[in-house]
Amino acid sequence: MISRRNSAAVASATVLALTLAACGGGSGDGDGGDADGPVTWMAMLHTPTTPEKDGVIETALEEYTGTEFEMQWVPDASKEEKINAALASGTLADIVSLTQGDSTTVRTALTSGMFWDVEDYLAEFPNLSQIDPVTLDSARIDGELYGVPFQKIKARYGVVVRQDWLDNLGLEVPHTIEDLTKVAHAFAHDDPDGNGKDDTTGFYDREESFKVAFRSLTGYFGAGSQFEVTDDGQVVPSFTTDAYKEAMEWYRGVYEDGGVNQEFVTVQKQNQQDGIAQGKGGIVVTGLFEAKNYLALAESADPKTPMKWALVNDVTYEDVPRRILTDTGGGMGGWLAIPKSEVETEEELKKVLGFIDKLMDEEAFGLMTNGVEGTHYELDGDGVVTITDQTAWEQEVQPYSSSRPSEKIVTYKSTSPYVDEANELMAENEEFVITNPAQSLTSKTYDTRWSTIEQQVTDAYNQYITGAIEMSDFEATIESLRGQGLDQISEEFTAAYAEVNG
Amino acid sequence: MSAATTAAPRPPAASADPERPQTRRRPRGSSFWRHRTLYLMALPGIAYFLVFKYAPMGGLVIAFQDYMPFLGIGGSPWVGFDHFVRLFTEDTFSMLLRNTLVISLLLLVFAFPVPIILALLLNELRGKYFKRSVQSVIYLPHFLSWVIVASIFYVLLSTDGGSINNLIVDAGGEPVPFLTDPDWLRPLYIGQEIWKGAGWGTIVYLAAMTAVDVQLYEAAQLDGAGRLRQSWHITLPAIRPTIIVMFILAIGDFLELGFEHMFLVMNSLNREVGEIFDTYVYTAGIQNGQLSYAAAVGLFKGLVGLLLVVMANRLAKRFGEEGVY
Repeated sequence: MISRRNSAAVASATVLALTLAACGGGSGDGDGGDADGPVTWMAMLHTPTTPEKDGVIETALEEYTGTEFEMQWVPDASKEEKINAALASGTLADIVSLTQGDSTTVRTALTSGMFWDVEDYLAEFPNLSQIDPVTLDSARIDGELYGVPFQKIKARYGVVVRQDWLDNLGLEVPHTIEDLTKVAHAFAHDDPDGNGKDDTTGFYDREESFKVAFRSLTGYFGAGSQFEVTDDGQVVPSFTTDAYKEAMEWYRGVYEDGGVNQEFVTVQKQNQQDGIAQGKGGIVVTGLFEAKNYLALAESADPKTPMKWALVNDVTYEDVPRRILTDTGGGMGGWLAIPKSEVETEEELKKVLGFIDKLMDEEAFGLMTNGVEGTHYELDGDGVVTITDQTAWEQEVQPYSSSRPSEKIVTYKSTSPYVDEANELMAENEEFVITNPAQSLTSKTYDTRWSTIEQQVTDAYNQYITGAIEMSDFEATIESLRGQGLDQISEEFTAAYAEVNG
Repeated sequence: MSAATTAAPRPPAASADPERPQTRRRPRGSSFWRHRTLYLMALPGIAYFLVFKYAPMGGLVIAFQDYMPFLGIGGSPWVGFDHFVRLFTEDTFSMLLRNTLVISLLLLVFAFPVPIILALLLNELRGKYFKRSVQSVIYLPHFLSWVIVASIFYVLLSTDGGSINNLIVDAGGEPVPFLTDPDWLRPLYIGQEIWKGAGWGTIVYLAAMTAVDVQLYEAAQLDGAGRLRQSWHITLPAIRPTIIVMFILAIGDFLELGFEHMFLVMNSLNREVGEIFDTYVYTAGIQNGQLSYAAAVGLFKGLVGLLLVVMANRLAKRFGEEGVY
C-alpha cells in the first residue's frame, strides 16, 4: 500500500539494520554462503499449495541447469509483510524475487546497496546479455541495475472491436482514430446488434478510464506514458501536453455523441466485463488477450452468442507515427535481486547469474511453463500445447511459472480462439512501445504527493469528459496543482534524469 | 489493580462477620474488597480496554513525527505540529470540513429519529408473530456489508440499465443520474444509512419500551387516551433518557462517518460534495504511505468528537437529564 520510494532515511535505516545484523553474529552467511551449497531462492507463490520439495520440476531444472537450488516460497498475498520483514532484518536468500516495482520499501532497499549491481556481469551470459534494452532501462533506478529484471511483454494493449457488429453494419475494421470515431458513432446509433433497440454504444469504458483505457488512447495522439521528456530535457507529466489535451477533446466529442457509455465513471472492472459480454458496447481499449475472456464470458451466458472480435494493435492518429504506451512498466515485472550478504564473492555471484541465465533457455522455460511432456502436457504436430493432467500441472508446474525470469522466451500455440492472434499482435507492439521515463527515477515529492495530485487530475478529467467542466477548468486544475507539488515533482525528476543521462 | 487485590489483608472468607469490631475502621479499599467478585468479573473487560483501546493510543505520537515503519516510533524524527499545520492549510480543508459537517448534520436530523419512530410503530403492533417477522426483516440490512449495499443501489440506480431509471424512462421521463449528480449524493448517502441501520437501531428503543409500566397505559386508557396520545405522553417520555444517551453517543461520532460507505458511493463527478476526512485520509495518507499525516487527521477528528460529547453531555445535564457519565 505504501507507494513507491519514500525517503533516504528508510534506506539508511535498512543499511543500519543490516550492519547491526551482520555485527550481531552474521545472519548474513546463510545457506548460500559457501559456494557448494544449493542456491536459495525466495520466490512468490501464486498457487494455494507449494510444490513438493525436490519434486519433479525442481529435479528436472536442477538436472538441466546443473545447479542445485532450494525454493523458499512466499505466498503472494502476504509478500508485502514478508519481504519487508526480510529486507529489514536481512534474512534473505541468494536470489530474492522482488515483484513490487512500485513499493517504497523495495526501492529504498535496492538503492541502499544491499544488492549486487549486476549491470557489468550481464554481458558474460548468453541469455542475460540479450535482455531487452527498454526493459533494462525501466529496471534501473537512478541509473543502476540492482537485479535481473523479470521480463514481460512490453505493451499488451490495443483496441478490440466487435467484428460481428462491423459486419452487420458493413463497416471495415478501424485502424485510425478517425475510423474509430465513425465506428463508435455507428455502434451507438445504427443498432449494430439488430435487435431494434437503442441499447448499444461504442467504447465501453470504466471508472479507471484515466489510468487505463484513455491513457492508452492518448498514446496514439502522441502523449507519453504518464511522464515524458521534452526536447529541452524537462520531465513533465503527460497530462500537461497538447497531445494529451487533443485526445481529451476528441474523447469528449465521442462521449457527447453517445459513443462512450455515459456512466463509465461508476463502472467497475467486473461491471465492464459483464456489460461487454452482454453486448452493451462494441469497442474496448484493453489488453489484446482480453478478447478471449470476453468471448468466454458471453458464451457462458449464451452458448450461441454471435460475438466475434477484431483485434487491432495499429491504431494511428493523423501524422503521428505508430506507437503504443506500455502497460507493464516497460516489460519489467520486478527484480531477481542478489543480496551481498548471502552471495559474498564475485565468483558466487556469477554462479547465481549463470543459474538465472540457464532458466532463460527454452528447455527450462518449457519446464516452468508446461511441465514435463507426457506427464503434464502433450504436444501435437502443429506445436499446440495441451495440458493433459490439469491437477498435476497446477500443483507441480504452475507455482514455477511466475518465477520465470522471462515470460517471452517461447510463445506456445493454443487451440482457444484469439490467443495466438493476440500473442502475435502483442509481439508486434514491442517495436513501437513508449515507456515512462520517470519510472526509473527518484523524486521525494512524487512519493508523498502523487496520489493526491493524480486523483485531482483524474476527477478533472472525468468531469471534462462528461461535460461537467470545460477545458479551461481542467487547465486551471493543473495550474493549481503546480503549486501543490506538481512542479516540484517535475523538477526533481528532471534533475534525476539529467544526472542519469549526463 | 491486581496488586491491590493481592496486597490486601486476607479477611475471613465470609466478610459479613456479625461481630465486626466498631473501633477498627476499615481502610478505604474495603468497598473495593467487598465487591471483589464484581471487579473480578469486570477484569476481562478492563483488560480488553487497556490492551486494545488504551495501549494503542500511545501510537498516536506518530502524528507528531515523520513516522517510518523501519525506524519505528523510537527512531522516527519528531516534527511537532507540522502535520496539523499541513492539514489546516491544505486547500481542501474547508471542503472536507464542510462536507463532513453537512453530512453528519443531515444524518443527525434525518437518520437519527427514524429508529425511534420505527420503534414506536413496532411497539403498537399487537400481532405477536407479525411483529417478530417485521422486526427480523428490518434487521436484515444491518448484516449486509457496504459493498453489497452499494452494489444493490448501483444496479437499481444506474442510468445504464438500472431498474429505477428503466421505470422512469418507460414512464416517459428522462433518466436521472443518481450516481453521478452531486445533488443526489447526499440524499443517496442518507437514504442508504437509513435503509441499512434504522431497523437495527430500533432494538435499543424497543428494549427501553418493554420497561414501561403497563399500568400507565391502562390508566391512560381509562382517561380516554387514544393510541397516539399514549405514545406521545407515556412511551416517548419513558424512553427519553435512552434517546438522550443515544443522541450524545451519536454526537461523539459526529466526524466519524466511516470510510467504507462514502468511498463506495463517491466518484469523480460527485467528489466535491462527498469527500470527507475519512476518504481523504485514505488517498492522502494511506495511499501515499504517509502514516503520520493520516494519524494527525485521525487525532483531529477524535478531539473534535470528544469536545462535542462533553458539550452535549453538559447540555443534557443542564436540562436535567442523566447524560452518559
